[in-house]
Amino acid sequence: MEAYSLHMAPGGFFARALIVDVDGETATGMPFELDERVLRAYLGGVGLGTWLMHRLAPPRVDPLAPEAPLAFVFSSLVGTPLTTSAKFAVVAKSPLTGLLTDALASSQFAIAGKLTGHDAIVIRGRATQLSVLLIDAAGVRLEPAPELAGLPASEAETQARERFGRGWRTAAIGPAGERQVRYATISHDGRHAGRGGLGAVLGAKNIKAVLVRSGTKVSVADQAGVLAAAKDLRKRSFGPATAKYRELGTLANLLAFNAVSTLPTRNFTAATFEGAPKLAAEELHEMRGVARNSCASCSIGCEHIYSRKGGGSQRMEYENVFALGPLCGVSDPDDVFAASARCDELGLDTISAGGTIAWAMECVERGLIDEPWLRFGDGTALLRALDAIGDRSPGLGELLAQGSRAAAGIVGHGSIDFAPQVKGLELPGYEPRSLQSMALGLAVNARGADHNRSGAYEADLSGDVNRFAGGAAHVAAAIGTEDRAAVMDSMILCKFLRGVFEDPFTEWARLLSLVTGWDMDDGELRRAAQRIVRAKRAFNLREGATAADDTLPARMLTTPLELASGRTATLTADRLRSMITSYYVARGFDEAGRVITTDLPDLLLEA
Amino acid sequence: MGRPKAGLAWHGSTFLYRTSALLGRAVDGPVVVVAAPGQTLPGLPDGVAVVQDPVEGLGPMQGVAAGLAAVADRAEIAFVCSTDMPFLHPAFVRRVLRGMDDTKADMLLPFARGFRQPLAAGYRTSLAGLITTLIGEGDLRPGMLFKHCEVVQFDDAQLLDDSALKRFDPELESVVNVNTPEDYATALGRRPPTVVVERFGALAGKDGHRPTEIEAATLGAAADAVGLTLDRHVVAAVNGDQVYRDAKLPLVTGDSVAFLSADAGG
Repeated sequence: MEAYSLHMAPGGFFARALIVDVDGETATGMPFELDERVLRAYLGGVGLGTWLMHRLAPPRVDPLAPEAPLAFVFSSLVGTPLTTSAKFAVVAKSPLTGLLTDALASSQFAIAGKLTGHDAIVIRGRATQLSVLLIDAAGVRLEPAPELAGLPASEAETQARERFGRGWRTAAIGPAGERQVRYATISHDGRHAGRGGLGAVLGAKNIKAVLVRSGTKVSVADQAGVLAAAKDLRKRSFGPATAKYRELGTLANLLAFNAVSTLPTRNFTAATFEGAPKLAAEELHEMRGVARNSCASCSIGCEHIYSRKGGGSQRMEYENVFALGPLCGVSDPDDVFAASARCDELGLDTISAGGTIAWAMECVERGLIDEPWLRFGDGTALLRALDAIGDRSPGLGELLAQGSRAAAGIVGHGSIDFAPQVKGLELPGYEPRSLQSMALGLAVNARGADHNRSGAYEADLSGDVNRFAGGAAHVAAAIGTEDRAAVMDSMILCKFLRGVFEDPFTEWARLLSLVTGWDMDDGELRRAAQRIVRAKRAFNLREGATAADDTLPARMLTTPLELASGRTATLTADRLRSMITSYYVARGFDEAGRVITTDLPDLLLEA
Repeated sequence: MGRPKAGLAWHGSTFLYRTSALLGRAVDGPVVVVAAPGQTLPGLPDGVAVVQDPVEGLGPMQGVAAGLAAVADRAEIAFVCSTDMPFLHPAFVRRVLRGMDDTKADMLLPFARGFRQPLAAGYRTSLAGLITTLIGEGDLRPGMLFKHCEVVQFDDAQLLDDSALKRFDPELESVVNVNTPEDYATALGRRPPTVVVERFGALAGKDGHRPTEIEAATLGAAADAVGLTLDRHVVAAVNGDQVYRDAKLPLVTGDSVAFLSADAGG
């Protein structure tokens, strides 16, 4: 039985959000009560953020308009000793896709933000001048901060702390966010809520940084049980399922993906890269000084920070190396380090930046863009392009600041066919033709081409399916991973923990029960996962998405991929459409990919 | 041999498992094993189907007909072989099938190591009916088809006009059968094939990601040789193609095995 109380917050929750309305030079906060049915149905994080967007985003709102809401959403696990739980979701309508976007980040901002006494902080409106927004248990205030203009997020954080004192935790944007580059990020303690242009949404509100400070406490239902579970989970987090992340970090993917022809190279014209060994974690570990770091409350420690020639250091992940390295044909690690650092300084999503520049490089090769210096393999050109984007300089910078889909719309001449995007979001580093479960996951995902909301590559690389021939097993795998992601992103736990759970839904239900006091089981959690996936799709449909958006770039569906072995991998439009149709059926959508009417009450959109 | 050849062990696998799994590696379509009436088969790789030969005692062509009929709705051409070919190389299978594509023949018959090889040959699956008819007329000989359809014969030189086959099986040992205890003893005395192994990511250890040559007839043996165990965290890609977790998966000369963490992503 899914029992709930309307009067008391369940463990781990405050049962209220804070709506902050920014208007000119002031900001006001207003509590927004969250029914326990909603909290239980959506869990928190991405799930709750999706529900909030349904309720608070005006239909068809311009994502950069003052009335477009931006939500920082926490969860019941934030603040508990459970490893990797210091995470939060940032949710808004994306200026890059025009659809729902959500991004997760790990930092002390999560704990401080929640301990302002809210399960979510939603920001609307626009300041007259560049400002910072401060929120704690005492209330909300807006402070002008023109001196922060043009600063990287990290420097803005430092200056804001100096100005407002210790105890504040910061989410800030870089220059790209201020200039509303459509794939600008929001940074927190050097990490990013990266995808979909959330930094542009905050920038459009003229808010350089949001500062939060703890002011209250939150209780859990079973303190002793949570402590015991935390101890157990921490111990398991040191096992073989996380070894890859601990020992080499996500960059360990690069050489392995190259070996199995799934490393997107030169704007997806190849899946192996001759320069991969120079960029590989294995090589960098031998050749460079390396340090490890952890997010707040994390026992895995996946961050690997490499020394740079000439001084300094840079955190490197698979996705930024893939996007700024092989995808742009760049093989000099120092060029890739410099490009990653530049993205951090500007506040740019590295995947979208790399994808958009790689597309532009191909356009130059084809004579569609007249910038002859912008060539595959040229690290100096890569940096120059990033600066142009960050500045939104007239011409190329302005064009590429829109993302590859919109830029292709301007350039024309069929360039949309090789724009590496789905629904406007640039593809991550997984070649769809040689990972056909992932191909489906990328095509149907609500956020667009995304590897964190659909990790279907797991099935392709598990040995359980033929990764070159998508079919029924691939559909089931894609749905399974999408459901698991929906729960992990909502409760919230880091996905790098996923391999330590033998029976994920059962174990996650137990963790949530200990924290909240709810008597949850795996079945309820599976229903929650399906509900969250449906709610995301329902939001996108409301905003104008159709089944036609569930696809891949034409290049993937018309051009066979040459594998290192000499074979070719082919993904036809018919095969993809067949998988999508099966996905719709299995998800309970109609033939046009719509959530059926009888499922809508379950979404609690009127609650 | 005095006992069923399908179950004979060879370097960590059985003849049948090895042959059917190698075919699975070599082709994109289905793999079918034809069993004699009442025959109990040893274990098979996942995805390999079994069809029963409907009539006992009619010889190998009856089995060929049953196998071709079983896949005719999914494939136009098929490679047909017996189970007792421990040295079969996927490059040989691909060479034969490519010959079928190139010549458009009904049957591509290797003439290798001095003999016709109808049980290591390519067939058009539509021949199933013709073979059944001929058997019904009392013609059980493997050579019976030659007068009734277009057969193209490839000699050693034609077969070896394929760089992969020439490199990995220059003596065309793919067609070597095991028919006597002596043949079997000889086969068992052969060293396992030489393969190249790489370990990636957390599996590598110091220098482990650099290619290393080892001898291994199965994926499990290759894993053992580099101190790994295939499980939910460890998989392997063979020649950069499919990813496997099957320890009995056969390896052949020239294979490149990449051991990966199954916990992909990030």
